[in-house]
This record gives sequence, structure tokens and C-alpha cells, in this order.
Amino acid sequence: MSAANSNIVELRDVKMQFGEKKVLDGVSLKVRPQDRLVILGQSGSGKSTILRLILGILRPNSGSIFFKQFEITRLSPRKLQQVRQRIGMVYQYSALLSSRTVRDNVALPIEELTDKSREEIDKIVDEKLELVGMKDAKDRLPSELSGGMRKRVSLARALVLDPELMLLDEPVAGLDPVIAAVIDELIISLSEKSKVTSITVTHEMDSAFRIATRMAMLYQGKIIEDAEAEQFKQSKNPVVRQFLSGSTEGPILKDSEDAIAKK
Amino acid sequence: MNMAKEQTNQGADNGTLTVNPVIVVQEIGELFRNFLAEVGSMFWFVAHTFDETIDRLRHGRAPFRASSFFRHTERAGVESVPLVGLVSFFLGLTMALLTGYQLQRFGTERLIPGLVAISFTRELGPLITGIMLAARIGAAFTAELGTMTVSEEVEAIEAMGIGPLRFLVAPRVLALFFLMPCLTTVSNIAAIFASSLVSRLYFNIAFVYFLDLVQDALLIRDIITGVLKSFMFGFLIATIACYRGLSVKGGAAGVGTSTTSSVVTAITTVIGFDTLYNVIYTIFFPT
Repeated sequence: MSAANSNIVELRDVKMQFGEKKVLDGVSLKVRPQDRLVILGQSGSGKSTILRLILGILRPNSGSIFFKQFEITRLSPRKLQQVRQRIGMVYQYSALLSSRTVRDNVALPIEELTDKSREEIDKIVDEKLELVGMKDAKDRLPSELSGGMRKRVSLARALVLDPELMLLDEPVAGLDPVIAAVIDELIISLSEKSKVTSITVTHEMDSAFRIATRMAMLYQGKIIEDAEAEQFKQSKNPVVRQFLSGSTEGPILKDSEDAIAKK
Repeated sequence: MNMAKEQTNQGADNGTLTVNPVIVVQEIGELFRNFLAEVGSMFWFVAHTFDETIDRLRHGRAPFRASSFFRHTERAGVESVPLVGLVSFFLGLTMALLTGYQLQRFGTERLIPGLVAISFTRELGPLITGIMLAARIGAAFTAELGTMTVSEEVEAIEAMGIGPLRFLVAPRVLALFFLMPCLTTVSNIAAIFASSLVSRLYFNIAFVYFLDLVQDALLIRDIITGVLKSFMFGFLIATIACYRGLSVKGGAAGVGTSTTSSVVTAITTVIGFDTLYNVIYTIFFPT
């Protein structure tokens, strides 16, 4: 049941299918402590699915997923809830509770899962909001915030229980370059100062190269390249080369055209 | 299956519509299977909600915040009082008026108070309140939870390690469970008050005499029956509404479809359970 290694996360031959569509076709991946892994891939290639599988929100059709010594796919619902408390997730569209203020959103996990007093909670919330530069907005509702502000609040909420692992789904999508850089630096500093491991799913290449210590490319349900960031940049794989250069010439569009032609 | 379809088409080509019994049986079977699957998932939904709530209590922690519970009781209860009171008042008025004129022909108009009181406490009070709350609160619960589901808020709660059932469903179900009998009482009082006005104005029955007649006619059994029913209706409406809300799929359109489905299912279930309750009740208490 337990992974006999020191990986924070490990996926072993994970297969996942939604109806007829095969999304993951034997994905294997290891994430070591303090790694900042960035998963790249086309839209709809199954990157966010990997994050949901690690959280146990989705169950794979086959294969195993480990978070430290816990096999996520075999945990009881109760144990799974406890494990999730050690993981922070930032959603692509922030997923803040729209009826609660920023303060209440960030405080929610501590209020619900710890026995801390109101004063202690306020102190932690202020600290986390300060970290993401959102302390002044704590009495505002999510609807009164811009996309970037919401994302930062979402990050503060994910950090509030001091997680060991952060899962970030498109953390800088739609943000201006300055705020995107602020979030990237925050992810880097969390990893360096608080020893937090992170898995980020993104399309933003600038952001990906800034934060990644390791990069993996998901293509047609498989991890086709998994390497240290510097090595990844030098990859000879034509799919990776095309994706990194953003060129229209190469196997990615050709495969899509073939698939369309076959249909 | 294909042969059966061909046979149906041939019938249609000849100008007569022949229905193949195999297809009819298959479709009925499919509907029945879907119905059973739905009932089964709803049963598990209730079981998991209880499990999460009780587990939390076992660890000495409140399953949800008191403020959340009171917010829902205020929405479901206090804010529904005018609607429930007004509709029941009009119904009581109409009932007393229409039955009164019929009874007057036989000189038995003094039966009006008992008739309205018994029919409302036992049957119409819980039923009318149930239907109104299914439309008003059931729809609100489904739309609210449905929107939270499609905007990934429910998933985010789950991802934090917070049980969404005890956090979102339990306070709503409990609020409606406890508020239904109170609202039913409001409905009963409004209807009886309306019938007392009609009795006084049209049939010359004094208020004091009216009250005596109500007390003579009503049995404790009638009141308990109505209260038990309203607890049950509150539980059913809230459970169906929350279940439908959390199983929304397909964005804004899905929220709309689920909300409609929630109201229709809740009203049908309330009426169905009311009938079942009455059948069982008459078997055990025939007089």
C-alpha cells in the first residue's frame, strides 16, 4: 500500500477515460520533495485531470496514485479528507465561495478543520493575505474583485493550512505580466522558504520557465518528456520543440488534422 | 430491437400507427431502471450526509456553523410566513364559504369549524405548506448549490478536506425539517382564522362558539398526524433540492434544468408520500 520511496507524489500507469474519450493513457510521474514541477500540454490534454486525481476528486480507471505513503486510490473517504488537508489547490477560475468575504474565504479551512481561536484565525488570515498583497481587500466579496485579485485570494486560501504540496491550475492565466510575475515569485519563495512542493499546470511559457525546476509534457494521454527545466528546453522531441516554439509546423497540428480526417 | 423498430416503421408507412409491445416494455423497463438508480443515489446521498455529520459530532465538533443553520431557517421559515399565511387564509376562506353554503341547506353549518380545522391540521396544512416550500425554498436551494457546483465551489470545499455534505447539505435539511411544522402551524391558524371570519359573517357563528366547535372536533391524533407529516415533508423537500443541486451538470442551463426538476420531483414526492401516509394511517386508525 505504501510507496517505498521518498516521493511526495507518484503516479503509476494511470489511465483515465471520460465516456469514449481516453484522457490519460498510462501516465507515470514522480514528484520529489521541493520540486516545482510544471506540466505542459495542449488544452483538454488532461493536465487538470492529473491534479484532480492527486486530490482524489476523480478516481482513475486503472493505476495507482500516491501522496507520500498514502495510496490515494485506496483511501477511505475519511482518510482522504485528512490527506487533502495537507494539499493546497488553486483553481483556474479561483473557485472562491461567492457568498463569503475574502476574509471568510481564507479563514474557512482553519475554522472548519482546526480548533484555533478567532484571534489566532484572524492573525493567520492577515498573514496569508499580506503575503499575496490582498490584506486591504479582506472585507470585500469575490464579485468585487478582479480576476487577478481573486486568484491571489485563492492562493492565500490554499496556503492557510501550510500545505506540503500545492497544486496550481493555470495560476497566472489571464493576469497581467506584473501580477503573473508576483505570483510566480510567490510560488518560488514558498518552495525555497517553506519547503513546499508544487505541481503547476499552465500554458504560459514565461511563467512555466520562471517557476519550474522540472517540466513534463503531456501529449495524447502520455508523459512524453519529463526532465529538469534546463534539459527540457533542450529536448529533441519534435512535439516538445513545437510546443515550446509555438510553431504551426510540426506533429501537434498534423496529429490533430489526422484525427479530424479519420473522423 | 432493430426488427421491432422496422415493424413500427412499416406500420407507420401503411398509414396506421402500430406500437410494438417489445419497445413499450423496453422503454418502461428503462424508465423503471432509471427511477431505481435515482432513488438509490438519493438514499446514499442521505446516508453519506448522516455519516459525515455524525462523524463530525463524534469528534466533538459542530458539523456546521450555527449561523449557517439560522440563516437558512430565516430564509426558509421567517421569510415564508407571509406567503404561507396568505395562501392558507384564502384557502380557508374559500373552503368555509363553499362548504358552508352546501351544509346550510341541511341546517348543519355548525360543522364548518370542525371540517376546516380537521382538514387543515391533518391534510391541507402540511400539504399546501409543503408544495409552497418546494417551489420557494426547494428551488432556491437547488439553484444555489447548482451554481456552486458549476463554479467549482463545491469541489474546492471538498479539496480543502471539508465534507461538503455536512457543510452544505446538513444545515439546509435540518432548517427545513424543523421549520416545516412551524410553517404548517401558521398555515393551520391562518385557515382556521379565515373560516371563523366567514362563519361569523355569513353563517352567524360567534367566534367563541366557533372555537368551542373547533376544540370539540379536533383530536390530538389529528394534530400529531399533521406535525409528523410536516417533519417528513420538510426532510424530503430539502433532501431532493440539495441532491439535485449537487448533481448539476452542464453550466447555467444545467442549473435551470435541475431547478425545474427539483421542484417537480419535490411536489410529486410530497403528494405521493402524503397519499402513502394516509393509506397506512387509515389501515391502523380506521375510525
